[in-house]
Amino acid sequence: MSEERIGIERLLSRLDGVSRRDFLKRSAIMGAAVPAFASLLAACGGDDDDDDDDTGGDEDGGSSDPTATTSRSVPTSAVGGQEATATEEEAMDDEPTATAGDEGGEDEPTATEEADSGDSGEGQQGGTLILMGHHEIASLSPDDAGPTVHWVMVTQIHNALVELDAWYVLQPTLAESFEVTDDGSTYTFNLVDGVLFHDGEQFTSEDVKYTFDFYMNPENAMLTASDFAGITSVETPDDLTVVMSLEGPNAAFLANAGQAFIVPQHHHSEIGEDAYKSDPIGTGPFMLSEYRAAEFTECVAFEDHFRGRPLLDAVREKIVPEPSVRSIELETGEADSSVWALVTEDNIRLRDSGDFTTYVTSSTAVNHFPMNNERPYFADREVRRALMYALDRDLIVNELWQGLAVKATANISPALDFYYEPDVTEYPYDPDMAVQILEDAGWVAGSDGVREKDGVKLEWTIAVIAGDQARRPEAEFAQESWNAIGCNVSIEDTTSASSGMRDGTHDMSLYNWTYGGGSGEPDGSNTLRSDALNNFSKYKSDQMDELLDAGLAETDPDARAEIYSQVQKLVAEDVPFIFVKYWDWFNFYNKRVKGLPEDVLAGSQLYNACYTMWKEEES
Amino acid sequence: MYRYIVQRLLQGIIVLFLVSIATFGILQAAPGDPVETMLGEGSTQLTQEDYDRILAKWGLDKPWYEQYFTWLGNFVTGDFGQSIVRAGVPVNEIVLDAAGPTVRLTSLSLLSAILVAVPAGMIAAIKRYSIFDSGIMVWASAGVALPNFWVGLMLIILLALYLGWLPPSGSGDWKHYLMPVFVLAINETAILARLMRGAMLEVLGQDYMTTARAKGLREYAVIGRHAIRNAMLPIVTVIGLRMAFLLSGTVVVETIFAWPGIGQLFITSVYRADYQVVQAIVVLFTVLVILANILTDLTYAVIDPRIRLN
Repeated sequence: MSEERIGIERLLSRLDGVSRRDFLKRSAIMGAAVPAFASLLAACGGDDDDDDDDTGGDEDGGSSDPTATTSRSVPTSAVGGQEATATEEEAMDDEPTATAGDEGGEDEPTATEEADSGDSGEGQQGGTLILMGHHEIASLSPDDAGPTVHWVMVTQIHNALVELDAWYVLQPTLAESFEVTDDGSTYTFNLVDGVLFHDGEQFTSEDVKYTFDFYMNPENAMLTASDFAGITSVETPDDLTVVMSLEGPNAAFLANAGQAFIVPQHHHSEIGEDAYKSDPIGTGPFMLSEYRAAEFTECVAFEDHFRGRPLLDAVREKIVPEPSVRSIELETGEADSSVWALVTEDNIRLRDSGDFTTYVTSSTAVNHFPMNNERPYFADREVRRALMYALDRDLIVNELWQGLAVKATANISPALDFYYEPDVTEYPYDPDMAVQILEDAGWVAGSDGVREKDGVKLEWTIAVIAGDQARRPEAEFAQESWNAIGCNVSIEDTTSASSGMRDGTHDMSLYNWTYGGGSGEPDGSNTLRSDALNNFSKYKSDQMDELLDAGLAETDPDARAEIYSQVQKLVAEDVPFIFVKYWDWFNFYNKRVKGLPEDVLAGSQLYNACYTMWKEEES
Repeated sequence: MYRYIVQRLLQGIIVLFLVSIATFGILQAAPGDPVETMLGEGSTQLTQEDYDRILAKWGLDKPWYEQYFTWLGNFVTGDFGQSIVRAGVPVNEIVLDAAGPTVRLTSLSLLSAILVAVPAGMIAAIKRYSIFDSGIMVWASAGVALPNFWVGLMLIILLALYLGWLPPSGSGDWKHYLMPVFVLAINETAILARLMRGAMLEVLGQDYMTTARAKGLREYAVIGRHAIRNAMLPIVTVIGLRMAFLLSGTVVVETIFAWPGIGQLFITSVYRADYQVVQAIVVLFTVLVILANILTDLTYAVIDPRIRLN
């Protein structure tokens, strides 16, 4: 594992109040996620052993002190960040996370977690864990597990070959190990023996093949089809072996396809995908007992789960749309945890109350102003850079966001420590510099005070999500800042921030999105590539395209880190969009919930470890 | 009379058609799309081809008028199509599931509003300018003025958080009904009480009341037999009309109290761009309002023989 050692040196130099344990966890991600390491049989579980000795050292974890939490410097699960829709509640939502991963730190959670949470002794059996989501659970099919509210239940019911845990480690789950050929194009998964589906049927390699073939098939128009891109064949030499061939090396393969939840061939093929959405059967620790989409969904313990019966009797997710009511549900103890964000004031209040086990983790979705680079004024890179200088992002973080965010340097969150590149072009708040840049570039003030060049005025509109109380002040602040250097910026409400950017309707908008970093995978092909669907800023750079392609083809983690370092430098240099900050994400648990780790890096990802939790009866 | 009913129904159908086409247009103009909401925050990085395939699967790639006529064709046969977000589930089923809780909530609210407002308005009128009267009127003004989302949240904070008497939200046993029914009823109670008081006062000033008293009838008989019956007339008609307002109130109240009814479904579907469901609910509400109007007119004619419909 010499590469990993190098990685460690590299990381050590950047450790910034981050516990060694976290960083070891993180380095392990690399081990698991990257094919080159995987060739050594990525039984990533091994990493936890390293941590035990460290756990005593850092107290931060589940405590209510966010500043102490290491999570700030760690990736949140976030994944394909998503723009908030208009609800006010969505204030802090964007990327709650969710990757498809699941059942996180299971392999040996017991050892670590018990030590972490200070709950020595055995967990008690029994109790129902009550979670809260903010909108109906429209489906329990793995294909619809994108929305966190869905995923939380889908992950109780299903398992994947490998699943991401709350530390961004891909844990072998239905696959006990896997091998990858040197050229990175063939993966062989060795499946766990004796795994049963909820209906008592045996899980075999045929189920894996069926699931993959079904999801990949264009005719089925699955939402998650893209996760399986580049797989040329799935073969099953025997019941416990699956061999997958790829078109070429794809560094993101495990993080995407590897985490696909496996559905039972005998059941799914019989009832079809549509019916499966409300009648799922998996190998997961809990099986569906009651499903009322708009009200609640409950799963009960699966006695024959291959990792043993979960401690809890049941996990229930009920729907509570109003965020302030969710926090009251937490305070009254009616519910144990909210899957979806509360409003900021409640986050701070609950955190400071000390009544809850609190996790504060950092998002991987960047809060940014995407801007249409095809507009003549934004086409000039000097203008984009000037806008960066003119915006006091520290003030936005500290004042508007009450410190509950971390300033962005480029497209990758500092949370994603291994890939994060701090040594990029910086844009400290400097309005004079901004003015100078504009002057030098030939943008001079006209009679109305608005700068112009060749008849093009620095005049545009920021389309803000209607009802977005969280980001609106940020847009207004930016408007003032940019008007102060001779622009004429106006603000309008929109219900279609991202799609309006996609189709070129808006000049500029404001929302959060992941530009690489979701599930710990730094690839940003879907957002930064010239032809990407979610290239909201219509940023076109041959150099960027080459880097992104190279990043996916490269299997060596350090070489990848080098490539993504260049990606970030290029983003900082070119400023395709105004990158502002990464938000903090809060997860609260009632203190009667036990078996929780001391700290996590990806707060939402912890919900896939529900089967290791238990509930202490109130005395 | 029949001719009148047929006429009104035909008008109703035209209104329904216009409303449905307007809703469809508005939904089309709001460019959020269901595919995006279905993807959620997940890590899937959709390619354009996959995206187009999914749009095509749901017929969203067709021009809007084509989509509309497909919808209209199904609607005429009583089929509201399928929810896109809840892939494959018929909209009829989703709306019906949500209708139960909403009907329970609204009818209880309306019933309690009537039970409180009618006697309160009556007494206020009879004991005009008394403390009781002033109290009712203050309450009635407040009831109209206070926004229900605010009252709802305050109640939750008081009764669930501080006192711990009631569960903050959800549906299930009778305890869950108290707060949402109360909040939804406040507004109705206030309006009906004011109306009842006004109607009562008007009736009490009529000559036939003096006549009744002059006949030597006891006061309770005067009030009970002559005043109340006549005063109820405007109330009955208004109650019918208020049903529509109650339904709009559920949008807020059901969201706050996590009540799995039509109101919450409507909001969720709008946010998640679940076109078919939104369309179905709008049409349903429109039908209810149209019917309520017709029924009100008819009731009026039945109760008051002086009114002729033509």
